[in-house]
Amino acid sequence: MSKNFSRRDFLKLAGVGATTTAILTGCGPASRYVKREPYMQMPEYTYNGQSTYYATTCRECAAGCGLVVRTMQGRAIKTEGNANHPLNLGKTCARGQATLHGLYNPNRVRGPIKHTRGERLYAFDEDPFNGDFPDVAANLSWDDATQVIADALTKYKPNEIAFLMGAAPDHLFDFVTDFTSATGLNAPIRFGALSMFEARATLSKAAENLFGETGLPFFDIGGAEIVLSFGANFLETWLSPLPYTRGFTGLREGKTKQRGYFVQFESRMSQTGGKADEWIPIRPGTEALVALALGRLAFERRGGALPRAFADVNPKEAAEKAGVEFETLERLAVLFADKAGALAIPGGAALGQSNGLEVAEAVLALNAIPDNFGKRGGVYLSALAPTETEYHRPASPKEMEEFTAKLASGEIKALFVHGVNPLFELPKALNFKAALDKVEQVISFATFPDETAVEADYIFPDHHGLESWGYQRVFTGSAQAILSGAQPVVSPFYDTRATVDLLLAAAQLVGGKFAGAVPFKDEVEFIQSKTAPLKNEANGFFSAVDLPTFNASFQQYGGWWKTESAFGAPNTEDVLNRDFDGAEPEFNGEGEFYLVPFVSPTLAEAGANKPWLQELADPTTTVMWSTWVEINPETAEELHIDNEDVVKIISEFGAVEAAVYKYPAIRPDTIAMPFGQGHTAYGRYAEGRGANPADLFSAEYNQAGDILFGGLKVKIEKTGKKLAIPRLESMMGVYGEGLGEE
Amino acid sequence: MATVTDLNISEVKLSEEYVGKWGMFINQDVCTGCQACVAACSMENNIAFVGPEDAGYGRTMNWIRIERFWDGEYPEIKMTSRQPMMCQQCGHAPCEPVCPAFATVHSQAQQLNLQVYNRCVGTRYCANNCPYQVRSFNWRDYKRPEPLPNQFNPDVTVRQRGVMEKCTFCIQRIHQAEDKARSEGREVADGEFTTACAQVCPADAITFGRVDNPESLVSQLTKQYEGLKHLPELGTLSNVSYFKGG
Amino acid sequence: MAEKNKSQAAHAHDDQHTQEHFREKHLMLDPLPRGQMNDMVMEAMTSKPTWKYWLTVIILGSIVLYGLGYSWYRLIVEGLGIAGVNRPSYWGIFLVNTVFWIGISHAGTFISAILRVFKAEFRRPFTRIAELMTTFGLVQAGFSIFMHMGRAWLSYWLMPYPNERLLWPNFHSPLSWDLLAITTYLLSSTMYLFLPLIPDLAMARDKSTGWRKTFYRILAIGFRGTEGEWTHLRHAMNIFAYAIIPVMFSVHTIVSWDFAAATRPGWNSTIYGPYFIIGALHSGMGAAAVVLAVVRGTMKNMTYFIRGEHFDAIGKLMLIISMGWAYFYFNDYIVQWYGGDKWTKALLHFHEAGPLGWMWLSMLIVNIAIPWAVLWNSKWRSNPWIISIVGILINVGMWFERYLIVPVSLSINRMPFTWRLYIPAVEVYLSLGTLALFILFYVIASKLIPFIPVWEVQEGQLAHKLSKFGRETVVTVSELE
Ligand code: SF4
Ligand code: SF4
Ligand code: SF4
Repeated sequence: MSKNFSRRDFLKLAGVGATTTAILTGCGPASRYVKREPYMQMPEYTYNGQSTYYATTCRECAAGCGLVVRTMQGRAIKTEGNANHPLNLGKTCARGQATLHGLYNPNRVRGPIKHTRGERLYAFDEDPFNGDFPDVAANLSWDDATQVIADALTKYKPNEIAFLMGAAPDHLFDFVTDFTSATGLNAPIRFGALSMFEARATLSKAAENLFGETGLPFFDIGGAEIVLSFGANFLETWLSPLPYTRGFTGLREGKTKQRGYFVQFESRMSQTGGKADEWIPIRPGTEALVALALGRLAFERRGGALPRAFADVNPKEAAEKAGVEFETLERLAVLFADKAGALAIPGGAALGQSNGLEVAEAVLALNAIPDNFGKRGGVYLSALAPTETEYHRPASPKEMEEFTAKLASGEIKALFVHGVNPLFELPKALNFKAALDKVEQVISFATFPDETAVEADYIFPDHHGLESWGYQRVFTGSAQAILSGAQPVVSPFYDTRATVDLLLAAAQLVGGKFAGAVPFKDEVEFIQSKTAPLKNEANGFFSAVDLPTFNASFQQYGGWWKTESAFGAPNTEDVLNRDFDGAEPEFNGEGEFYLVPFVSPTLAEAGANKPWLQELADPTTTVMWSTWVEINPETAEELHIDNEDVVKIISEFGAVEAAVYKYPAIRPDTIAMPFGQGHTAYGRYAEGRGANPADLFSAEYNQAGDILFGGLKVKIEKTGKKLAIPRLESMMGVYGEGLGEE
Repeated sequence: MATVTDLNISEVKLSEEYVGKWGMFINQDVCTGCQACVAACSMENNIAFVGPEDAGYGRTMNWIRIERFWDGEYPEIKMTSRQPMMCQQCGHAPCEPVCPAFATVHSQAQQLNLQVYNRCVGTRYCANNCPYQVRSFNWRDYKRPEPLPNQFNPDVTVRQRGVMEKCTFCIQRIHQAEDKARSEGREVADGEFTTACAQVCPADAITFGRVDNPESLVSQLTKQYEGLKHLPELGTLSNVSYFKGG
Repeated sequence: MAEKNKSQAAHAHDDQHTQEHFREKHLMLDPLPRGQMNDMVMEAMTSKPTWKYWLTVIILGSIVLYGLGYSWYRLIVEGLGIAGVNRPSYWGIFLVNTVFWIGISHAGTFISAILRVFKAEFRRPFTRIAELMTTFGLVQAGFSIFMHMGRAWLSYWLMPYPNERLLWPNFHSPLSWDLLAITTYLLSSTMYLFLPLIPDLAMARDKSTGWRKTFYRILAIGFRGTEGEWTHLRHAMNIFAYAIIPVMFSVHTIVSWDFAAATRPGWNSTIYGPYFIIGALHSGMGAAAVVLAVVRGTMKNMTYFIRGEHFDAIGKLMLIISMGWAYFYFNDYIVQWYGGDKWTKALLHFHEAGPLGWMWLSMLIVNIAIPWAVLWNSKWRSNPWIISIVGILINVGMWFERYLIVPVSLSINRMPFTWRLYIPAVEVYLSLGTLALFILFYVIASKLIPFIPVWEVQEGQLAHKLSKFGRETVVTVSELE
């Protein structure tokens, strides 16, 4: 996204948006909450039969897309993308749409609860579509809850208290960071399964190694003419799917150039790979080799001295190892060398191999051939958000292992968990459950009755994202520096409380240094204290005469962003001046199949409790409501396995069962499984559905600290069972199954 | 361009040049199959989810679906261009004449195919006769437990069991825009509003607008990409054009 | 002289033998006094029901209560989700049954009206039984069609009745035509059933006491058997016999238009009208044979009225109809195949080789091969057992045919992404319910309605005699009507 926004552009864009953004002023607590009122006493901004629109930020993932939520009589009716928001320009993904099914989910934590670990948080039986599944009722008051937190803060030594948080929201993270650093508590640690499956640590480490700067690279697909993607699933959940999807449209629809060409190297065709002009199923583990070979061939085509990076690779051998025709590599290298806007993107399971870092570096290095760094159609360093000085990535799995070890050693006595569900999102191999058992007091702020909340002593539910104040820093995807603002679009539906408010109250109750550390009246004041400096920054897309106006506009527009590009151009001197060893990675396990786990594009890590997300057809297999394992049809035939046969997938670290989907676009030596199901709690629509491939992972890491989720070899065993996997597609029409022989 | 308001209801034309015709252009080349349109449509139009058993048995209620097929054999295999299918709002709609109760009728003003839920008795003849197979039938009273109904769009009827439904081109939005324009004494401007699916589409694959207006974006894109209709041999005069892409 | 006597005696004996033979074979030549026949019919009707009778009623009744009562209640309360219909097979067994029962109802009118118009004498004893089939079958067809509706409680909206909103049914829709056609047919066939029944009801009135007397008195609407009444009755019957024939043809043609008027591969066929009619006759004739055999086997005195000759005649008709059906089937098939439409081809292939290919094959066997193989032989034809087994098989075959036309053909359409099989669920109970109700109607009617139109039989017997031309004994019929 290299397009800059002038104020005129913004106004024009605002004009074409289908929604109008109503002002919700930000002054005084009285107007801080939108209330659900009876018809007879409507707040003055609500008219019967008229919708009110509020800008806020999506919290289904950490990307930070701007939303405009249509509300009517205090109910949230529909989410739309915020047309003004430079990150998503009025669009959302499916999860952003379904966020309302989170807000009004029939299973939420309804108030503060003191709870025995392991006890259910809602009743449940097999059929989630009939019957009632009442949530456990609140059994504490918020005053009690404040007391509990205050007690924990005083009872334990500062280094015995830890915060584990999700990748969103940022304002809470900032609050906790300020709070902990001022009081000497452990700094908060953040985690999200999406960043694990993106191997974000590896990607940013590679960028750091190559460019000498920390930062997340951004790939300007829209400006490119040929894109070689090594497993990057940028049309799915990868980093920030909306700008990448928009980029893809730019690639295909570019007005000034011809239709861009897109090649995907991966062993299992992903949703992204399904859009490729050429899909090349290389053998897992040979990604780096293929990248280097392509680099060498392209370089040779261009002429000039071969740089160190590509000097050692033998393209013919590489092609053979990868299982592709050498001619194919040659042809692609020619394309890559000749086109002006050539771009190579690393990502996916390849980065989660023991040589993941090398894969990332080798693919990034390819971009040195067209030297597209910092140029249109090339690689940028993502713009940092306005209130950020450095790229903060969530903890890598390795760091999570260290954290888990700390919990297990009993060093941490009180754990506060917010916005993340480690018992589901962390691979079983990390044994987080055992570590959690060692923690004296676990306090969860979960909005939903998730697995971690079930193992907590107290649950002090935070509001749903749409009921919350806050902000989110946009960490990648836009040329502009964006701070995306969130405000409640409806008043809290249940007796929930903002975690910031709760911590503030607890700090007040404890007094002393705790009270002094965060001298704010409430959450809004804290947020405004963070955003206030932006008022005086240059190039903001709106300007305000005074702070209240600034705050009001911040809410009204759904954030603050600059009108100029803040993309960083990477420093590229040394990119090719390095050695790659091109060695193949080690795969864990004895099995005959490579395992490719991928994040379900529709469910992602936290979508499983939203019924409409469950019912969306998976973009590749069209499967709904379940987990499946993809096997090449020929392999399946050899093994006498058919569709819907349940097989057991066994790694050295665990086993899961799933029904087979004969997937025609996967290597015969590879099987694939989606991540997103397999919940043992998390509401009636999520629980007891499917399996979690993360149960198979080993607790081993690559150099950047990412878990080797792409480096597993597994066995499969037939179980003799059958399980129907609901699909939208017709087996007869699409696969000709059951039509009779021709 | 003639206006909606000076349309004479009694005037019957058998050509594609109806006044007030809304239509779509779908660029399959950029559609990524991400399902955002399906989710958006379901949220906008109070569409029920049916659960795994019914979903796997061809009873999904979604008004728009993304089709994909396979082309070739491993390793030279490709997914065909993802194909969003919703009601094509046929000019000569096969679903209309077969309904014995007049529950599916043609709207003169918008040139859309309407489904009158109140009037539907559930013979499902229309669904049989829709060559695009885009109609969904309420096989049951699908449950949306409290408090999920809070999300219901008050502009859209919640359907009972035994009633047929299908994509309406988000007619509630069309009406809203038309009412607004009329009250301001003007025509609806191109791009002033759009359908839920087009609005959400992260790839901008769906464009909605007046196809009787050659200036509109949708007409221009259709022209530029030489958009094709599905099953033109049936003479349905559908209002949705597709560009398949490579 | 002795010689002559001897030869005469031999001749007389021969004669007697021939006559005996004719009498045994032909009801018309085996006359009994009117009063005796009346008594026989009355006895069959009023004899005290045996425990077997009650058991049958109880079993059938419970099937009806469960299948039609409870299951339909569930269907209405829970929605069609408990049935097997889905996208794309929006229509399932309900419509199969509708077409099937309308088909059954065809034979009734066919036998009675067409054969009456063409003066086929063998029809006389069983017109009543056949006409009942029309009415009873149509009731099942009606049930099936209403069951299939998503909101059956609003089905009256399909009726053109005046209302303040000026809402009318859509007369473009084949379903509207259907409704009108079926209602017309139901009304006219009931009338047509009732007219010839009047003299028999009057007879029953005169011969019974108690509640029966009242019952028949009301139904007989004061028929006394005067010459004037007979003339009127004959007139009316004649008019109806002629009028109902086009109605009958139109009904099934219109039913076929439900399919033929749709834009679906496989359905959109111009030959569907006659094809459906011959199909209806095929199943209807088969059903008539079965019903006759059962009536003959279970009711008193029926072996006198229903004889091998009747089965023989029906068997001949079945054979001819089977040939006609085969012609139309292959005509339809070949034209569709020759048309070469991609989707139609896929559909034809699906019929033959798809998961229900066995159904397609067995349809051809029982509808064509078996009748052709069996019905050539007049001995076999005259055997009630054989003919009713063939009749049952033909009905199964015809049901299969409709099953192939409705849900199986619906599985394949122009959007392969949606192709899907149909797996029946609660429809099975509902179908059994209609079948049980159909039989139950007969079982109950056997105790209330004189099954044999005695006056019609007697009329025939009076008209028939054995005359001798030279040495030959010949059956002659004098014109009566
Ligand atoms: S990409 Fe993430 S933030 Fe954006 S709409 Fe989707 S879930 Fe929400
Ligand atoms: S696409 Fe189908 S439902 Fe829509 S108007 Fe055409 S025939 Fe009717
Ligand atoms: S136009 Fe509206 S109703 Fe039709 S598919 Fe799109 S969102 Fe759904």
